[in-house]
Amino acid sequence: MSNQQWPAEWRAWAEEVQATFPNATSSLMPFLHRVRSQQGWLTPEALDAAAELLGMTRQHVDSVVSFYTLFRTEPTGARTIHVCRGLSCMMAGADTLMENLEHHLGIAEGQTTSDGAVTLLEAECLAACDLAPACQVNLVYRGPVAPDAFRELLEMPVEEPPALARRAEQSGAQGAKGVADRE
Amino acid sequence: MSSARPDRHYLLRQRDVPDIHQLEVYRAHGGYEALKQALEANQPDQLVELAKASGLRGRGGAGFPTGMKWSFLPKDGRARVLVINADEGEPGTFKDRELIEGNPHQLIEGMIITCFAIRAPESYVYVRGEFLHGYERLTAAIREAEAAGILGAEVMGHPFAHRMFVYRGAGAYICGEETALLESLEGKRGNPRSKPPFPAVAGLYGRPTVVNNVETIMNLPPLVLKGADWYRQWGTEKSPGLKVMSVSGHVNRPGNYEVPLDWTLAELIEAAGGVRTGHQVKAVIPGGSSMPCMPASQLDTPIDYESLVEAGSMLGSGGCIVMDDSTCIVRAVARVVRFYRNESCGKCTPCREGTYWLTDIMDRLERGDGEMRDLDMLLDVSDNINGKAFCPLGDAAVGFLVSAIKHFRGEFQEHITGQRCPLGARQYDTAIH
Amino acid sequence: MIQLSIDGREISVPEGTMVVDAAAKLGIEIPVYCYHQALGPLGACRICLVEIEKMPKLQTACTTAVREGMVVHTGGPAVEKGRQGILEFLLINHPLDCPVCDKGGECFLQDYSFWYGSGKNRFEESKIQRQKDYPVSDYILLDQERCVLCQRCIRFLGEYVGEEQLMLEGRGVHTVVSTVEGQPAHSPYAGNVIDLCPVGALLSEPYHFKARPWNIEREETVCSVCPVGCASLVTGRDGHPVRLEGRPQPDLDDYGFLCDHGRFTYDFVNHPARLEQAFLDGKPASASAAVAAVGERLARVVEKSGGGAVAVLTGAVHTVEEEWALAQFARESIGTSRLAVLKPVAGDLPLPLLGTYADLAAATGVLLLGADPYEAVPVMHLKLRAARRAHPVAVWGLGDRVLTRSTLPGEDFVAEPGQVAARLGVVLGGEALDGRWAELRRGLLETERLVVLWDGADPAAAALLAALAGQRGERPTAVLPTHGPRNWLGAVRAGISAEHAAAARILEDAAEGRLEALILLAADPLRDFPDGDLAARALERVPAVYFAGWFAPEPRHALSAMLPTAAWAEVTGTYANMEGRLQVAHGAAAAPGQARPVRSLVTALARAMGHPLRLPDFDPFQDQDGDRIARPAKQPAESAGAPARPALPPGEWRVLTGDMVAVSHPPSEIAERTREPLPLRLHPHDADELGLGAPGGLIEVAQGERRFVAGARRDARIPAGRVFIPRGLADVPANRLDHGAGVKIALADPVREEVAAP
Ligand SMILES: Cc1cc2nc3c(=O)[nH]c(=O)nc-3n(C[C@H](O)[C@H](O)[C@H](O)COP(=O)(O)O)c2cc1C
Ligand code: SF4
Ligand code: FES
Repeated sequence: MSNQQWPAEWRAWAEEVQATFPNATSSLMPFLHRVRSQQGWLTPEALDAAAELLGMTRQHVDSVVSFYTLFRTEPTGARTIHVCRGLSCMMAGADTLMENLEHHLGIAEGQTTSDGAVTLLEAECLAACDLAPACQVNLVYRGPVAPDAFRELLEMPVEEPPALARRAEQSGAQGAKGVADRE
Repeated sequence: MSSARPDRHYLLRQRDVPDIHQLEVYRAHGGYEALKQALEANQPDQLVELAKASGLRGRGGAGFPTGMKWSFLPKDGRARVLVINADEGEPGTFKDRELIEGNPHQLIEGMIITCFAIRAPESYVYVRGEFLHGYERLTAAIREAEAAGILGAEVMGHPFAHRMFVYRGAGAYICGEETALLESLEGKRGNPRSKPPFPAVAGLYGRPTVVNNVETIMNLPPLVLKGADWYRQWGTEKSPGLKVMSVSGHVNRPGNYEVPLDWTLAELIEAAGGVRTGHQVKAVIPGGSSMPCMPASQLDTPIDYESLVEAGSMLGSGGCIVMDDSTCIVRAVARVVRFYRNESCGKCTPCREGTYWLTDIMDRLERGDGEMRDLDMLLDVSDNINGKAFCPLGDAAVGFLVSAIKHFRGEFQEHITGQRCPLGARQYDTAIH
Repeated sequence: MIQLSIDGREISVPEGTMVVDAAAKLGIEIPVYCYHQALGPLGACRICLVEIEKMPKLQTACTTAVREGMVVHTGGPAVEKGRQGILEFLLINHPLDCPVCDKGGECFLQDYSFWYGSGKNRFEESKIQRQKDYPVSDYILLDQERCVLCQRCIRFLGEYVGEEQLMLEGRGVHTVVSTVEGQPAHSPYAGNVIDLCPVGALLSEPYHFKARPWNIEREETVCSVCPVGCASLVTGRDGHPVRLEGRPQPDLDDYGFLCDHGRFTYDFVNHPARLEQAFLDGKPASASAAVAAVGERLARVVEKSGGGAVAVLTGAVHTVEEEWALAQFARESIGTSRLAVLKPVAGDLPLPLLGTYADLAAATGVLLLGADPYEAVPVMHLKLRAARRAHPVAVWGLGDRVLTRSTLPGEDFVAEPGQVAARLGVVLGGEALDGRWAELRRGLLETERLVVLWDGADPAAAALLAALAGQRGERPTAVLPTHGPRNWLGAVRAGISAEHAAAARILEDAAEGRLEALILLAADPLRDFPDGDLAARALERVPAVYFAGWFAPEPRHALSAMLPTAAWAEVTGTYANMEGRLQVAHGAAAAPGQARPVRSLVTALARAMGHPLRLPDFDPFQDQDGDRIARPAKQPAESAGAPARPALPPGEWRVLTGDMVAVSHPPSEIAERTREPLPLRLHPHDADELGLGAPGGLIEVAQGERRFVAGARRDARIPAGRVFIPRGLADVPANRLDHGAGVKIALADPVREEVAAP
């Protein structure tokens, strides 16, 4: 596997996250976040790359990835809609909102439309109960979304995943960098 | 009697000062003055004393006295770490999200003051993965602070050097539990760790570590500027000060409210616009879904830590969920139990299997397929989880359920005898907005 | 020491002891699933709940350290309800298939449910369906539905072994144990998870559905595959061994871990190549006819030329009692003193230095002198890691290749081939050592408790080890010999010389025509004697070779007779392991065909010779050092320092050799799955230059007219310009190649390969 040619940007990210956090093990999740926001999900190649570029076992990478809901290992649409199913959102109509979306998109929760445009997911309490029923579209909050106003979730402009990645890169987990440069 | 509401916000300052997330604006309104003062006084131990004197308690859920927590760090010369818990995921709680999005510099200032007090050269903020906006705001604010010489090899000209890191979670409520958070921050699965050793002794990367909530630490700048007595003008002897309460559910103006800790639930609900006209409060969960609910008859309970415990619940993280009389309590419980099933880390048996079983039983009850003996079984299964799980998530999973059966047993029974919801199906679908 | 009370009984235990272990000391069993002493506390399963006074909640006995004055109750209504609750939870998603589960009758879930279970089933909902019969290694099947997520398997492989090959996947109730797709567990220690699994989730594939607890015999034994001699249990069914399991020995702090080479080789006793039938002059014969003929021929030789014309070499794989019987036969019936152990290495361990596994556990420094424990004596590698988990241990490798590895990091010192001892001599001499070597010297001399794992290859090292011990003065020095044969120290106990010179003299005598008959007890000089050419000359010259044993050596036509003997698991007897500890192994299977125990074979031979042999009772333990063989007292230290030998001329390939149990274990149809297909090793650069694919392929090793072909693998631990050939490899006999020069390596030419195949 070690002769694999990973995309140059993955290599760069791996180096960057490794330089960012004082302890090497902490570089895994920031790296995965970047790849995730670039591609929307984590391909097997991405998991291999994480293991190899960060010096971890694939077992460790897979085990960690499988623990966190935002790290998806299935193809994921360009627009990921999270509908909060928390208690307050449920009380505000989240169930109907979800049903309406499922009907309209012709997919069930957890699925992606056949054109790969939209992935519909439920979320546990998004910590936005003041916006109930709250949603996120590519992690951008939207709410309250009245159950019959679901179309706004499909229409609101989203940045494409690659753009998200670029943004994360600019503002990304570089906490230490500025300091390190001066030291 | 309840204290008067302060004339301004001390934590939710973005409500009073637009754009306070920008360094320039924050500074123009007294930002980083407290830090400057603390550094000039150069007496870290005094800051710990100040925190103790103020009676400030942790806002992450457990309410542990903050100054005391800091003084548990062993004095063995090892480099210490401050970790800020911004993983906010407790259903009903949404204050930390607003705080880091709206007022990130106050968090940074509070963190540097805290780190100066406990002599920590590094600090970390563990931000919930879903808080993309908050993460970006905070990262940008740190960048500004670095550029302005507030963070780095020197802090505002003081030789105290400090590095601050922001780390994103990736969707796991359990990572709010402090030891699971540390595991996650070390790049692992968020399974809680055994205590002892406590984080104060061996936390992040084995170093002595303090874990504090976002809101807790944001209290520091005003405290340093105004002193412990000022802080104690609100609240009670044991629960002094202001608390950001997240009010949601069937109130007219859901949102965060920064209120004195001696207010009652009724006053809080009133502040949030009260319940919908024509409806009565049925039950309130005062501190996030991990806490037992209270019936309407207990609404004059003050929200301080002690009074709520006495009333059979807890302040927790201050996520106050208000349910009016249209609420099917069985459905609410079913929803909450499912949350804990979905968020159980899976490490320990009672939590992993127990929440699965409870969810199945609750679903059956809600469908109208329950039997009378299910109620005692629910309580018995809850008892087999409660106090037996590895971490407090197990207890949290049954708090609402057990209290709901206690206060609303009749409604559970009606679901069984009537084989359906007495309030009619899906009554929540009428959005209140 | 901490004083506490458990169930009203006082006990005092060292600080840091967990309540569960303190209770065990009192004979109070607290149920556990996730806890295992080797792995330490986890606190996941919660079955070990106990009540501790002054604590509001029940506590887990496995994670709670004892405290002064603690009052613990391991029973009572609260505890019982707590445990019942946990068991009920564990059974929610656990299939109720005990009747068809291999673990039925040996399962902790079944046992504890029986103790605590309420008997009634309140769970009416549906169970989660998961993968069953999921192969997680060549030998292991995982049933995810039966798993109780105790994580023992994951923690054992990941933390204890350091080979993270199993993992937890998913979260919450959807958590499962699994492997990365396409990457099954391949650790040679993986089989231990079968023993560690407290339920029937991880099962031995070779044992799957082979037996039920009530139709088996489970006897205490020791593994027969390498000199570590791991304590184990052999399961016999219908006269065949069908399973080998680890056997913990708490008083020796041994958790009973095995390696897969040992665990899955038990079927060698039923291998098609096993000698079950007597042969005389190449033809099958009845056992009695063969014995009579051999006896008569031996008698004739003795009569004509005296007992000294007969020599006996033993491969030392039989029990001490049998080796002793052989020795009696040689001395009494034949009247020869030409009797020796055939060892694959030329070095002789100074017995006074023989160390123990306890020495290793307490070591502060370990020198791997030519030995690669992971490949040669795998469980020693685990023991070393375990020592390191407990306290810091410095590890140095000194050999002709790198001996440390990622799971056993240390400092490596690589010598030129044939110069390992010379290098040690230079280090001990202490003159003009540069940086690293000087540190090695300081480490070796100053570490508090030194253990040397020695492969015995370089005879010159023996005196140097004695010198090292002398230079270290009061600081203890112990040596553990990693070479075979399996029971060579048992043969020593039986009074047979294991000195290289003794075996060499016999073969020289044979080669020079001074012998008229050679008896081989499970010995294969051609394969195992370090100087293969001498062995070949000896076998050509000696007029008669009589073989008795389990697997007859090639070429068989050179053997005048072959007599089958009973093997491990078919006799009850004693073995000595590499620390010289005598271990009793019980029989659990029947010897096949005409095979019979050595003791009865030699008495029959003696009778046929006309000199009936009276074998008195023999107790291997008598007059020994407890259960260890008696060792001579320490001799005064010899002075250090052997001169460095001149370097060999560069350019040619040099042959390195060493023990590799994956190659040397007896033929086994089960373990065939993991027999190393690419046993030769080359540095990756050399492999690239040859054009060898990844991870390896066939190469040809040639010397003069002789060519051999075998699989080779890339291995950065082998220095460039060398080829590593494990000892005893049939395809490429390292003992018949000139180790110095003249060896050539090329990519195997498929056409020539056919011609060259033996
Ligand atoms: C299941 C669980 C979830 C938790 N979630 C959070 C959380 O999201 N945010 C938080 O600050 N504390 C949370 N806590 C509490 C933390 O463990 C810890 O007590 C807190 O961060 C300490 O900070 P404080 O002393 O400032 O309150 C949680 C605890 C548990 C058991
Ligand atoms: S497979 Fe067995 S040993 Fe491994 S975690 Fe599951 S129950 Fe435990
Ligand atoms: S319940 Fe939906 S954000 Fe809280």
